[in-house]
Amino acid sequence: MSKTDAPTHAPAASAAGAPERMRASIPTRRAFSEALVQYGETNADFWVLESDIGKSTYTYLFGEAYPDRYYNLGIAELGTFATAAGIASSGRSVVVAGYGVFITMRALEAIRSFIAYPNLDVKILSSHGGITAAIDGVTHQATEDIGTMSAIPGMRVLCPSDTASARACVETSFSVHGPVFTRLMRDPLFDIYSSGETFPFGESKTVRTGSDVTIVSYGDIVFQALEAAEQLATTGTSAEVIDLYSIKPYDRDGVLRSIRKTGALVVAENHQARNGVGYELAHLSLTEHPVPFRNLGLQDTFAESGAYQSLIEKYGISAHHIVEAANEVVAAK
Amino acid sequence: MTSAVTGISKEKVSELREHARQIRLHVLEMVFKAQSGHIGGSFSEADLMAALYWHILRVRPDEPKWSERDRFILSKGHACPGLYATLALKGFYPIETLWTLRQFGSPLQGHPVIKCPGIDMTTGSLGMGFAIATGIALEAQRSEKSYDVFTLLGDGEINEGIIWEAAGTANKYALNNFVAIVDRNTVQNDGACDDIMPMEPIDEKFQSFGWTVEKIDGHDMEQVVAALERGRAHQAGPYCIVSYGAKGKGVSFMENDAYWHGKAPTPEQFEAAKKELEEAAE
Repeated sequence: MSKTDAPTHAPAASAAGAPERMRASIPTRRAFSEALVQYGETNADFWVLESDIGKSTYTYLFGEAYPDRYYNLGIAELGTFATAAGIASSGRSVVVAGYGVFITMRALEAIRSFIAYPNLDVKILSSHGGITAAIDGVTHQATEDIGTMSAIPGMRVLCPSDTASARACVETSFSVHGPVFTRLMRDPLFDIYSSGETFPFGESKTVRTGSDVTIVSYGDIVFQALEAAEQLATTGTSAEVIDLYSIKPYDRDGVLRSIRKTGALVVAENHQARNGVGYELAHLSLTEHPVPFRNLGLQDTFAESGAYQSLIEKYGISAHHIVEAANEVVAAK
Repeated sequence: MTSAVTGISKEKVSELREHARQIRLHVLEMVFKAQSGHIGGSFSEADLMAALYWHILRVRPDEPKWSERDRFILSKGHACPGLYATLALKGFYPIETLWTLRQFGSPLQGHPVIKCPGIDMTTGSLGMGFAIATGIALEAQRSEKSYDVFTLLGDGEINEGIIWEAAGTANKYALNNFVAIVDRNTVQNDGACDDIMPMEPIDEKFQSFGWTVEKIDGHDMEQVVAALERGRAHQAGPYCIVSYGAKGKGVSFMENDAYWHGKAPTPEQFEAAKKELEEAAE
């Protein structure tokens, strides 16, 4: 494990009792890049573009394995994405790596107008999603990325929660033609899935079944949701936890089936509450099957530098916040 | 008799000048009929477009996606009436298509899109097309493809920071197959380029980024052809042609006036401009 992989926080209080095997040894950004190297062995045509953070996104591993297919265009995210559009317009698939804020804000227009609009085959490795970029502070915490990317026509959005799902998302990304955005984390957190499991577009993982309340999450907060479900069980509330790793397209039928069963919904996400998955599922519920609903995410605020656990506590997306929200919606039924 | 500047005949020079005049006439009519579109930059680029499409670029109008075609990216996408007229006159689609400019259902969108015959890539947001063209050239060079990549920029467009990001990329990878032309018509949307955001010396800026640069009179067809030929033949990195000219070139009351960046003519102005362009026949 390299120095940059070291967890920047003490083990989560709520996770203190978690078995050691659930601690991830590498962050999802690294898992994705390692899988990219592997995928590149049998798929020899695609290129990888970087903007001088290859040692952080771990795409440097791809560059070491395939130097002729790796292009570092310097600290120039907008130019890098527009150049990727040109390459992809010639029929060559491209992976572009970077940090979420720079990708989804600085390079947003190139992604929208010149990658998504012409429907070019560009896959985006987006690290530092949400406040998992904890100690780096607000400039490096992508807390609007899911909303921004989801709003672009034709863009597909993935957010794996652990090592195995991050690795699998490489194959998922390449299973379709067209742009795919994959949100990844800065730091290693916890592992949930075993390797070999697949993560197709438009599906979800019910990581715990329950009957009283549905908790939908994605990425790092899936673990908090599982912790919350454990705690809810001790007070007799049966929570179903859905990992909505495929954010766009998402498993509409799966979510509907679950809320029809439980009659209550909590969405918890490491993102601004506004324009996130919570808004999407509130729309679904209001349209198809209204149920008591709570939406946990950043409440129209920026975060700050700090340990990951301190931040998810302060900004209301840790396990005990999910427990409180679940109890409220169950009581409101 | 051949030109002293380039190897092409005087007759060929006259033919190219006539193509440029036809491009301007069709631009005028399409923008008048649509009552929308960018005449000024389409007129300043007309001589360049004629030289590119009737002398330089290897393209097949009956096979627009021919894989070995030279690529042309109009980075100053708003000047697409000039490109649309060129493509119609060249035979990529019927002349009648021009009269659908910016209308519902037309392939001739307000700014160019890749699905239109003859358009190699969507452009329209200034600066982006240049980086896109850099990517196309990089891909072609590394894949040992035979075609060359030409892109046309506006002089106002080079205000954009992405221009200099991509200029660095083209230099880093020594893109021998890449020619950029800056349409130095000296006027941008809000006024004179030198007032809005001075960019001179443009040649030295590109030179300092590792490009080989030459300056030409962009309305002297012999100079245009010679520069494009030198750019294509150049094998020591990317090549830039700074093409000095006049916005609105060809119609006296439109020349060098920012008003004609994006305004459509009235019926009286249309008739006056048409008359001037018709009388310019050689």
